[in-house]
This record gives sequence, structure tokens and C-alpha cells, in this order.
Amino acid sequence: MSITQMKDFQTHNLLEVENLQMHFPVKGGFFRRTIGAVKAVDGVSFTIRKGETLGLVGESGCGKSTTGRSILRLLTPTGGKVIFENEDITNVNGKRLRDIRQDIQMVFQDPYASLNPMQMVGDIVSEPIHNYYKNKNKEELKTEVMDLLTRVGLPEEAYYKYAHEFSGGQRQRIGIARALALKPKLIIADEPVSALDVSVQSQVLNLLNELQDEFDLTYLFIAHDLSVVKHMSDRIGVMYLGNIVEVADKHSIYDNPMHPYTQALISAVPDASKMGEKRERIVLQGDVPSPENPPSGCPFHTRCPKALDRCSSIKPTLKEVKPGQHVACILYD
Amino acid sequence: MEVVHNKNSQTENSTTKPQKSMSPWAMARRKFMKNKLAMISLSYLIVLGILSFLAPYITTADISRVNIGDMSLAPSAEHWFGTDTSGRDVFTRLLYGGRVSLLVGISCTAIILFIGTLIGSVAGYFGGAVDSMLMRFTDFILNFPFLVFVIVLNAILFGIVSGVWVLIVVLSILGWGGVARLVRSKILSEKENEYILASISIGCKPGKIILKHLLPNVLTTVIVQATILFATMIVAESGLSYLGFGVPQEVPSWGNMLAASQQPEVLQNMPWIWVPPALVLILTILSINFIGEGIKEALNPKSYR
Ligand SMILES: Nc1ncnc2c1ncn2[C@@H]1O[C@H](COP(=O)(O)OP(=O)(O)O)[C@@H](O)[C@H]1O
Ligand SMILES: [Mg+2]
Repeated sequence: MSITQMKDFQTHNLLEVENLQMHFPVKGGFFRRTIGAVKAVDGVSFTIRKGETLGLVGESGCGKSTTGRSILRLLTPTGGKVIFENEDITNVNGKRLRDIRQDIQMVFQDPYASLNPMQMVGDIVSEPIHNYYKNKNKEELKTEVMDLLTRVGLPEEAYYKYAHEFSGGQRQRIGIARALALKPKLIIADEPVSALDVSVQSQVLNLLNELQDEFDLTYLFIAHDLSVVKHMSDRIGVMYLGNIVEVADKHSIYDNPMHPYTQALISAVPDASKMGEKRERIVLQGDVPSPENPPSGCPFHTRCPKALDRCSSIKPTLKEVKPGQHVACILYD
Repeated sequence: MEVVHNKNSQTENSTTKPQKSMSPWAMARRKFMKNKLAMISLSYLIVLGILSFLAPYITTADISRVNIGDMSLAPSAEHWFGTDTSGRDVFTRLLYGGRVSLLVGISCTAIILFIGTLIGSVAGYFGGAVDSMLMRFTDFILNFPFLVFVIVLNAILFGIVSGVWVLIVVLSILGWGGVARLVRSKILSEKENEYILASISIGCKPGKIILKHLLPNVLTTVIVQATILFATMIVAESGLSYLGFGVPQEVPSWGNMLAASQQPEVLQNMPWIWVPPALVLILTILSINFIGEGIKEALNPKSYR
């Protein structure tokens, strides 16, 4: 690769996350001293290219939301780097941070708790614009918000209603309209459909897909459900206990999973294309360890069916094992 | 033809014009208005308030002077509730007393809510060092020996601030601790909601998040607390005045009027002097409580969440 090509490649990465760590202090004892840490995110790295969707999967509690919130700097990471459009935003604050947030928005998981019950839907969706463009003409703003509401599939009357008058799916649409209002470049969708009825899920997913083309969006799409991620993503990152164990394009993940954890996850997904053909299901033993006291070495070794002795002492790092497929496992060293 | 056409398009316009739907507040108001006991209580308080604040226009009796000729008269057509041991009309004093007692109640409640909500919400929202500092201070205020402080502050402030305002300042300075703690704890749990994260990510500044997003959602608690405070402050005024540490004796207040019953003769033989203020006080406290219950019920989050 020539230097110009390298440069080109770099500029196409919208987001780079390098060795991100978010350790929440655990306070206790008589003086409320810090006596430990919840290692919610413990060295996560990935990149997202402009226009693509990176799916992030993992069991509940593995640190997906924390990763998303650290990128938007709703949390300040305790280590590592978040690089957005070639700018290190890990420690920016104040006005610059506020400016950056125009370009990164979030769709939240809980359709009920993510909308202020005391605000009219119109106000919820205009608020982001109002925050950044104080002097915007009132009528213009209203038209813009009405257009947004229609675009996400809500009637214009929704403008004058309150969140409690809508169903879960409609509430997520309101949340999506709010995230779109500032015309961001990156949207972090944190399990946007996991609280919805299965019948509504695909409608909201389709909407997100349509909007991606229309508004030139890049998604970090978080889910705990592999089938949802498959529908949405170009590439997929698999998380376990605060670590990324494998990142690859979605076909590699589904057809040729390499990390034992990914293999176990995939084996549990009912596969339509291989109907009838019995796939061997890998059942993992034991429970996920606590992030407050993670195992030494590879975080997965306590449950890994292929674990070697070395696994408890050496922490594997992500390595490109096949072109575009990064795996953190010493089996491939 | 044209007229008809015009009319048609107009009605069409008005039907397609989107209807504003009810805000959670409007829904609560409607629910409150259906609560009879609360509405009766509210009417009582409003009437009492109007009578008290219009006292100078309603009554003609002079209560600023001792009237030796009219001492301790039983109720009559001229003096509806009789006169007290100094010959002053009890009905008139009751209304003027209402002015003072309600003023103390309202002012203290307002000041306490302001200080308590400000400190509680800042502590709750920012957390960390700001929180522990403010809460240390709140605990300090909460643990102060109330009566001692009232007496001392009363003595210090006497002369600097006039009459009832001494008591109002003293009660307010000592009274906000509970509200601050309550608001803080409510904010702490409310800020965990994702809509607060959302408001940060859409560029709201801390002041706006507290005022526009957090406070409206903890206001339920604050309002209910306000009714309790209002009642407590009126009782505190009466109690302190009864003991002689409240409103200056020459100022009529329900507490000062009740203090007259400290004389055994009045207590036993002249019920018209102390029963009216006692009754009005009890009714006022009861009404405030009923209103508080009504508000609590109307704001029950289950009705709109
Ligand atoms: N503010 C916080 N303080 C302490 N621990 C937290 C906090 N937020 C999350 N955690 C912990 O971090 C871990 C990862 O949480 P989260 O990122 O929400 O997981 P996921 O979104 O994958 O379900 C969990 O063990 C959770 O309890
Ligand atoms: Mg989560």
C-alpha cells in the first residue's frame, strides 16, 4: 500500500476506537474509598468506515452500551482513544465537545425512558435544532420538524402530542427523529428494537436502513440478538466481558466464525439456509464472570470449550487472522 | 355558490388543523377538579385568603388599641365572636391574624422550596464533590437544635428585619434541609433515565437539563411536599407565637390569639376568644392536607406513564 493509499484509507474511517477502557470505580468501606472497579469496557478496538454499519453483539452486561456512551462522551473513558474524523475526542470538553455531538447522535434502547414525559413530541424533536441554531425562524423550524416526523412514519399531528399517547414502536420513531434532527454523521443505535414487539421490530429496522441511504449515515448498531445484527450490519464485532473477541464482515462471522465464543453464538442461531441439516449446538458451561473480577488471561477461558493451559495466563490481542477478520484467540497465534 | 365553497374549505381547514392534546399537567388538573374534598378544601382556603387579605375593607373595628370599656364581651350582633381581654373584636383579629399566619405559611414555603430545590437539584445532578459539599451543609442545617436557633436568631435579627419577617427568615433558613434532601434523591433516580442522556447528547447545557427536563419530572414530589410544608409552617408560626418566640405579641396572628388561652380564666370561661382561632387553624391544616392528597392522586404517574 502506498502512502497516498494509506492516507486515503485513513480518511475513510469515520470512527476509530483504540483500546478503549471504561472502569467504573466501586466505592465502599468507611470513607467511601475506591475499593475496586467494574471493568465494563476493558480494551475495545474497532473502526467504522464512512457509510457502513458496524454491528456490536454480545450478551447483556458485556459493555455494549458503555462502549456507545463512551464514544458519544456521555462517559469519559478511563483509558484508550476515541478518534472521530481523525480528531482525538477522548478528552475534549466544553464547546468543542458540544460541537462534536452535532455529528454523533444516539438512539436509545428504552422507548419509554428515553422520551421526557412532560414534553410535547414537537418540542422533543425541535430541541436539538433549537440548541444549536438559537435564532432559527419558528415557522421554518416547525416545518422542518413536521417533515422529520413524517419521514420517520409519524402523522403530522404527532407534533402536538405527548409521548404517552404512542406505542413503543412509534416512540422509537420519535427517538429516531430526534437523533436525525441535527443531520449527524454517525448514529449509535443502542439496541433500538430490543424492547419492541417482534412484529414492529422489522418496520423500525427497515426505517433505519432507508434513512441510512437518504441521510448518508454511518451506524454503530448495538444488539444482543445475532439475527437482528445480521439484517443490519456490514461488519460485526463480537463482545464478551468488556472485550472484542472477533471483528469481521458479516459473512465471515456467519459462515466461518473463528473465535470459540463466536462459534458458540452462531451455533445457537436457527439457520434458514441450512434447514434440516443439523447444526451442532455448542452449549457454553457456567456463567459470565463478573466484570468487577474478570478472569486472568483470556476473559473467555473459564467457559471456552477449546481452552488451553496458556489461556489463563496470556491475554490475547486482536490479530488479523484472515483478510478483514480480526480474532483475539491464541489458537490462531 | 362561492360562499358555500368558501365555507366548505373553511370547515375543512378547521378539521385538519391538528388539535393540541392534553399535557400531563392538564390531565392532572382535570383529575384534581373531580376530587370533591380537595375542591371544597381549596375553596375554603381561597375564601379564607380573600377575607384575610381584604380584612381592612371588610371590618371596621379598631384592633390596634386596648378598649377598656369592651373587655371580654361574649359574642353579640355587634361583636360576632365577642371581644378579648383587651376589648378587641375577635372576628377582626381573626381575619388580621389570618393575614399574618397565611403570609408566614406562604412566604416560608416559597423560600424553602426555592432554596431546597436549588441546592437539592444541583447536588443531585452534578454529584461528586459538589454533592458531598452541599449535603454536608444540608446535614449541618438539619441537625441544628431548632428551638435554640429560633430564639437566638430572633434576638439577632430583631431590629434589622421588622415584625413577622424575622420569623419568616428564621423558619426559612432552618427549614430547607428536608426539601433539599428529597429533591436530591428524586433527581438522583430521575437522571438515570435515558432521556437525560438524550438531552446531553442533543446539546442541552446543565442549567437547561435541570430546569426543563429534571425539575418538571420531580415537581410532583415538590408540590406534594409544598402542601406539607405550608401546613407545617402555619403550625410552627402558631406554636412559636404561643410560646412567645414567634410573631411579636402586638401583631395579631392565630398563634398569638391562641396564646391568650394560657390564662386559665380565658380557657375555662371565655371560649369565644380561643375557639375561633383554634378552629380556623385546624380547618386550614386539614384543607391543606386534603389538597395535598388530591394533588398526589392527580399526579399519580401511573395515569400517564
Ligand atoms: N454507571 C455505571 N456504574 C457502574 N457500573 C456500571 C455503570 N454502567 C454500567 N455498569 C456496569 O458495566 C457493565 C456493562 O454494562 P453495559 O454497558 O450497560 O452492558 P450492555 O449494554 O452490554 O448490556 C455491567 O456490569 C454494568 O453493571
Ligand atoms: Mg445495554
